[in-house]
Amino acid sequence: MLDDPTGLTAVPSEEAEEMPVEAWLVALASLPAVGPARLRAMLALDGPAEVWTRLLGPASPELVQVAGKRDRYEQWCRYAAVLDVVGLWSRHREHGVGVAALGTPGYLPALSDDLDPPAVVFHKGDPEVVRGPRVAIVGTRRCTRYGSDLAFELGRDLSSAGVGVVSGLALGIDAAAHAGAIEARGAPPIAVVGNGMDRVYPQRNRALWQAVADQGVLLGEAPLGAPPERWRFPARNRIIAALADVLVVVESHASGGAMHTVAEAAARDRAVLAVPGPVRSSASDGCFDLLADGCAPCRGAEDVLLALGISGAEARPLDPRTSPGVVGQQVLEALGWQPADAEQIRARTGLEMSQVAGVVEGLRAAGWVAVSGRWIERVGHPR
Amino acid sequence: MVSVMATFQARGIILGKAPTVLATIPASVLAGITGHPVSVEVHVSVGLPTFTVVGLPDAACREARDRVRAALLSSGVQWPPGRITVNLAPSGIRKEGPGLDLAIAVGVLVADDQLRAELVADTAFLAELGLDGRLRAVPGVLPQVRCLNSDAVVVAPESAAEATLANGPQIRAPETLRELIAALRGEEPWPDLPAPESGRQWEEAVDLADVRGQHMARLGLEVAAAGGHHLLMIGPPGAGKTMLARRLPGLLPPLDEGTAIEATMVHSAAGLDLPSSGLVRQAPWQAPHHSASMIALVGGGSRTLRPGAVSCAHGGVLFLDEMGEFAPQALDSLRQPLEEGIIRVNRAAAVASFPARFLLVGAMNPCPCGELGQPGMCRCTPLARLRYARRLSGPLLDRFDLRIHVGRPEVSDLFDAPAGESSAEVKDRVGQARAAARHRGVVANSELRDSDLEELAPLDPEAKDLLCKAIADGRLTARGFQRIRRVALTLTDLAGEEPPLTGEVVAQALFMRTEPVTVAHDPWSVSNAR
Repeated sequence: MLDDPTGLTAVPSEEAEEMPVEAWLVALASLPAVGPARLRAMLALDGPAEVWTRLLGPASPELVQVAGKRDRYEQWCRYAAVLDVVGLWSRHREHGVGVAALGTPGYLPALSDDLDPPAVVFHKGDPEVVRGPRVAIVGTRRCTRYGSDLAFELGRDLSSAGVGVVSGLALGIDAAAHAGAIEARGAPPIAVVGNGMDRVYPQRNRALWQAVADQGVLLGEAPLGAPPERWRFPARNRIIAALADVLVVVESHASGGAMHTVAEAAARDRAVLAVPGPVRSSASDGCFDLLADGCAPCRGAEDVLLALGISGAEARPLDPRTSPGVVGQQVLEALGWQPADAEQIRARTGLEMSQVAGVVEGLRAAGWVAVSGRWIERVGHPR
Repeated sequence: MVSVMATFQARGIILGKAPTVLATIPASVLAGITGHPVSVEVHVSVGLPTFTVVGLPDAACREARDRVRAALLSSGVQWPPGRITVNLAPSGIRKEGPGLDLAIAVGVLVADDQLRAELVADTAFLAELGLDGRLRAVPGVLPQVRCLNSDAVVVAPESAAEATLANGPQIRAPETLRELIAALRGEEPWPDLPAPESGRQWEEAVDLADVRGQHMARLGLEVAAAGGHHLLMIGPPGAGKTMLARRLPGLLPPLDEGTAIEATMVHSAAGLDLPSSGLVRQAPWQAPHHSASMIALVGGGSRTLRPGAVSCAHGGVLFLDEMGEFAPQALDSLRQPLEEGIIRVNRAAAVASFPARFLLVGAMNPCPCGELGQPGMCRCTPLARLRYARRLSGPLLDRFDLRIHVGRPEVSDLFDAPAGESSAEVKDRVGQARAAARHRGVVANSELRDSDLEELAPLDPEAKDLLCKAIADGRLTARGFQRIRRVALTLTDLAGEEPPLTGEVVAQALFMRTEPVTVAHDPWSVSNAR
């Protein structure tokens, strides 16, 4: 539901007559608790403008049935009576948010043949970038350094190989994948978001959100002002699955949004790859389940390119970090790719504790390791 | 009737002749940790037998009447059968506690002429009386003796060692009132002062050699002791944070003369056990529970101004376990003493300052679940971790120069690891670093002023680069920058080297100042979370 049904004035009918069909779609999509299923059910009854007119007129039994509950139907009617459709439409134009209705020429071809295509798609940025091969990189918000490193590498390497990276702009894996794609400056990034495009969610991703809109495209099926309600995210996941040719799960707990995306991808016969993680890491539980079910493992961009039927990833860029030095190299080798604390490094290298502290700090300054709390982790690539 | 008259005549009291005698005995009371001289005036006159104490006594002080009477009767002297008035001058200040018992008893004897006034001239009395006439110790003897102007002071035997520290009057310590009267009358010699008994022994009982593994924490303790840097230990329950902190007082050098006297006065006033020598020489240890109120920490009270835990830790270590669980207000009240080394307590009735220069050692869990095992294992949400991290206010967190993570020791370490260095070995290096600090004119490097650092702790180019990067990354504030320099200087002193500070020691200092709680691993959120 919109936070404020703009302008409480009655709609001037002549002006309303000239509104495009999308404007009515936007108004219908902005009704409280209207997701893709209810919107589709409404449109099965009649055209968007006609459904809107019905909401303003005498009670319609079909619409009550769509609403499911009498209360909700009455809420819709009250809402429709005060909503300024023209104002809402012009707000979308002012914000540079494009709107395309299913079946119109502006609608994304990638979605029009889908099992469950959105009745209306909003976009910010250039929707033309949605072409060529695409990979969805998804995973948990509560990721480990390992997961976020790999998501970043996959995003970077696939984007530079010309593969569009699709993800959901959430915290954790999603953000890391987009960040990698943006750094590569290869194929433009594609983000599918759950809420209205005037609201950045989560706020911490503000910079990333803007970067994706500038270099690629933000897609969604929620009108401006739609808050990030919980139910919007599973619906968002089906669009991610629909847009991707291959889905890669980097890290996922045994249940969660990423596993839901996997289910949507399976329903659409998309290939699903899972990144193996340390077997003790609960953040990789979902990936283990997928691998046990026969998903192919993803060890890097090459595996994904193989699944897409593309060959020849570009050579990785040279590591820009300054050399770790002899003792630094010794510590990096002792560290391996598992987190360790200073005590363990001391035991493995035989250095004095004060030396360990100095060397680790030097490696951290040069970008070779990251320190989070007690744990020291090797970083695969500089950020 | 004749026999009664005879008794009166024998005492020089004859009916109708205004037979009054007055005695004035010096004594003292305690307010905060300062003694105030008090004159105990006793007046015995004919009249109905009453015993009144005036001059703002509190309940314990007023009850002296019953103790004094019983004690005198148990000591083979007579109770004057008349009207006894005791005035505690100056009458304006409140008198608390039983410390005036002995002075009142002696006053009664003098006023009743059972003891000649010249025998007690210039002698002060500071003890509580038992009903059997035994002398009992009272808190705060040292500051009270110091405020007195007498040639001799009589105290209980337990207080004798402490009272001697005042280096002034002759100290007398009879066991009982009977002994005291005999000695005053010259019938017996004064009893010898008691020989010091063995007092607190824990200082020797804990040693760093008992600690297996935990090299990071050992280093932290050594640097904290050497430079006087406040230390925060972050680790899961069972990592041994308390056990480690307990060993810090043993690494600190003995208190210097002035601090030792101040610490003794505070301990004495707070009623803590004093060592057998009477003087608190070894760095004290205070570990208040996290339910402690602000008053318990900094001192105060509605009527009595008592020193709090921060003052009892003067010259030593204040250990706050489970820092996140302390009331935020109580923690923030530590900021003034941390900054100034003194705590001023203002109450409607009085104002007191207590010394409070201590080494603060805090311990906390890395996250609400306490585990924060390997990344990805902790079940706390980033938000919950962030909230937990915010329990320590930024300004307080900034005071910790050393913030280290302590893990649970490996099982193999507990059995097989060779014993680490002993406290004595570490103490030698600490002494060496403290000597270097003394050359700079301070007790420890943490007391160096910012303005002196440029000259005393110059940075080599590599060190400058590291610090610039840390500031650019938002890991270090301007204050943190100066604090890192002090820690790096201490590390240089411990290594037996001279400034300028190298990149290596600065890196070590930076590593030992980690963020206490990690909020997230997400690369984008890390840069935006600050």
